[in-house]
Amino acid sequence: MMLALGLSILFALTIGIIAARNKRAEAVILPLLDIFQSIPILGFFPLVILAIYGALPNAIGINLAVIILIFTSMSWNIAFGVYEAVKAIPQSYVDLLDMSNASTWQRTKQLYIPASMSRIAYNTQTSWAVGLFFLVASEIITLGNKSLSVTYGIGIGATQFFSSGDYADYVLLIVGLILAVVVWRFVFLREFALWSEKYKMMEEPREQHNDPIMRFYSWVNQRAVSKLFLLAQGRGVNRFTSAISRFRKGLKYATLIFVAIFALLVLETVASRGPPGIGHLPPTSLILSTEASVAYALAVSFVRVWYVYGISVAIGPPLGIVISLNFKLYDIVSPILEVIASIPAPILLPAIVLIPILGHSSEGVAALVIMLASIWYIIFNVMAGVRSLPSEIKELPRVFGVSRLSAWRNVYIPGAMMGFVTGSITAIGGAWNALIIAEYFTVTNKNGTTTLLTQTSAGIGKTIVLATNSGNILTLTLAVASMTVLIVGFNLTVWRRVYHHVTKRYTYNR
Amino acid sequence: MATTLAQLPAGSPVVTVDHVSLNYFNDKEPLPVLVDVSMTAGKDEFVALTGPSGCGKSTLLRIISGLNKASAGTVKIGGAEVTGPRPEITMVFQNFVLLPWRTALENVMFALSSRRELSEAQKKDKASKALEECGLSGFENVYPGELSGGMKQRVGVARALATEPEVMLMDEPFSSLDDLTAERLRKDIYALLINPTTSIKTVIMVSHNVEEIIELADKVVVLSSRPAHVAGEFTIDLPRPRNKKSPEFFSWVDKVYSLLS
Repeated sequence: MMLALGLSILFALTIGIIAARNKRAEAVILPLLDIFQSIPILGFFPLVILAIYGALPNAIGINLAVIILIFTSMSWNIAFGVYEAVKAIPQSYVDLLDMSNASTWQRTKQLYIPASMSRIAYNTQTSWAVGLFFLVASEIITLGNKSLSVTYGIGIGATQFFSSGDYADYVLLIVGLILAVVVWRFVFLREFALWSEKYKMMEEPREQHNDPIMRFYSWVNQRAVSKLFLLAQGRGVNRFTSAISRFRKGLKYATLIFVAIFALLVLETVASRGPPGIGHLPPTSLILSTEASVAYALAVSFVRVWYVYGISVAIGPPLGIVISLNFKLYDIVSPILEVIASIPAPILLPAIVLIPILGHSSEGVAALVIMLASIWYIIFNVMAGVRSLPSEIKELPRVFGVSRLSAWRNVYIPGAMMGFVTGSITAIGGAWNALIIAEYFTVTNKNGTTTLLTQTSAGIGKTIVLATNSGNILTLTLAVASMTVLIVGFNLTVWRRVYHHVTKRYTYNR
Repeated sequence: MATTLAQLPAGSPVVTVDHVSLNYFNDKEPLPVLVDVSMTAGKDEFVALTGPSGCGKSTLLRIISGLNKASAGTVKIGGAEVTGPRPEITMVFQNFVLLPWRTALENVMFALSSRRELSEAQKKDKASKALEECGLSGFENVYPGELSGGMKQRVGVARALATEPEVMLMDEPFSSLDDLTAERLRKDIYALLINPTTSIKTVIMVSHNVEEIIELADKVVVLSSRPAHVAGEFTIDLPRPRNKKSPEFFSWVDKVYSLLS
């Protein structure tokens, strides 16, 4: 995963910088990024595995497939960040380099990379969550051909514990995962983000002290130093503070080691896969009838994605606005939400099936899984949007003594609009990805048999999984292609227009 | 409230800032920002508030508006203590602070949305009248993004005027405009604020432009650098309209400058 992340950042830097500095490349790369970002990569996974495994039928092949999957899931978002950051460099900086006849490498090193740093750090946080989702999902997807399926890994472990009734182990594993996510997320990624702050262009306001975790650190530092060591002057205090900083440094290395072990485990998981087995192509005369059933499944899934999105819209934006308008609430709630959001939805599915009422309805299970994989994008983007509004504009309702209704209608909802639309586009992408887990879910037992936990009556996710299981390449290809065409088409026609309208009307610039 | 202010004799204080202090709390140490500031703004008086940058003049204005709370001391309007934003006080901002997703007319109507006694049509009437007074007839349905800086500030002034305020607070209203635009807007706004038909009883303007202050103000309060206290207070008795090239004008400019530096 670290390898995939490193590759993603390298790729993102190259692509992002080229797109931002070269008009012709921009015209090609941007739409491509747009498309890659919006297609459900998970749907391609079976195809990628089959293809790469066909060419490289050994452990390296599978490693490559998983790395490619995680890499593709993370790159686009970071590449967009780099592109926007490089685009936003004030012209005077570019002029400065022009006048000093700097070489391309010099420019990249001195200006483009530093300018992209904070965006890379920021977007890595989201990309990481996405990557984790794919990591777990790719393990849980059991390919029909048993010899290709994963035998050990966090995702498979969770479902195995569950199916054999080791609920305590299941819970323990999830708690462990949460801890790992928290440590990694809040220590490593946070440090990266804070470190990258100094690379921000002077024009941007620096984020100061609004990070609850950092405040907690300094709170602990101050309390501990001032209260416990009030009497011990000079060296004692120094020793203690340096002990704290050593401890923090140690924690960082511990995280790194932890992550390295985690990555090794993943690699081992992947390496333990058996020899290949690829099905034969079915007769092509079936194309039309297959496409008809694929289209039906796609329609069902389309409706499913949109009604779940509808529910998310009813919950997400109001929640996000309320949280971000209240500083104290934001400090408490946002780290909690971030942790919940970073638990990959597939791993929770077995627990969701156990929920009374909901568990008996495969539709309910699917809806909840899809929502868990998508609503966070809406909430976090809305929160970011509201918080980035100038404080003066948030104060307007107070200045004019305006009613709460009018304040929401005129200030908060329009102010959140930009984040809402950006979040919606990502959320719907996430929802399409989640279908593959949500619509058809089997658990591999320890003895190698599988148990079907939930399946909806129809849906494109189910179609893809079943086609993969039975090695039906025709259905698989048609399903993935049709889904891609639908999503990309929808993005190009509907979302693009909405996005343009919203950027034109709902962004705040003086 | 409105009637008591209207009955005040000319020159008697409308806004009274009484021994106001403000501390910021950085960890445990209180950081004084304003120290024992007292000033008044009388009826039909245009008061300018100035001081070195970062001294806390805008913060004082925000305390007067009720948006911020003082650590000690009181602000009174007429006889009533200001404890939060009040309908008879309004504000014009340096950065206009218009809602980009609402038209000029809707932005002005937004300020009226708390007025339950007005029908939607009456609000619209009042709002377009205010825009017209500020020289923006024909721009009702234009979004702020399509307006120039000067026009944006006119919308800001129209929004403030539409609420029929008695106390008008302006926080560096001309400083994000270019000189020529600011020059015209100053004349127009002065004529709008100080005339017998307006509801406005007093104006307090924060500014760091000394010439602008001498051109507009009846009284100038100069704050010292942080922590700010009142360094000087002058009544500018130059006849109006003021000639910016007269030696008297320059001697006033010098007088205020010498206190600032």
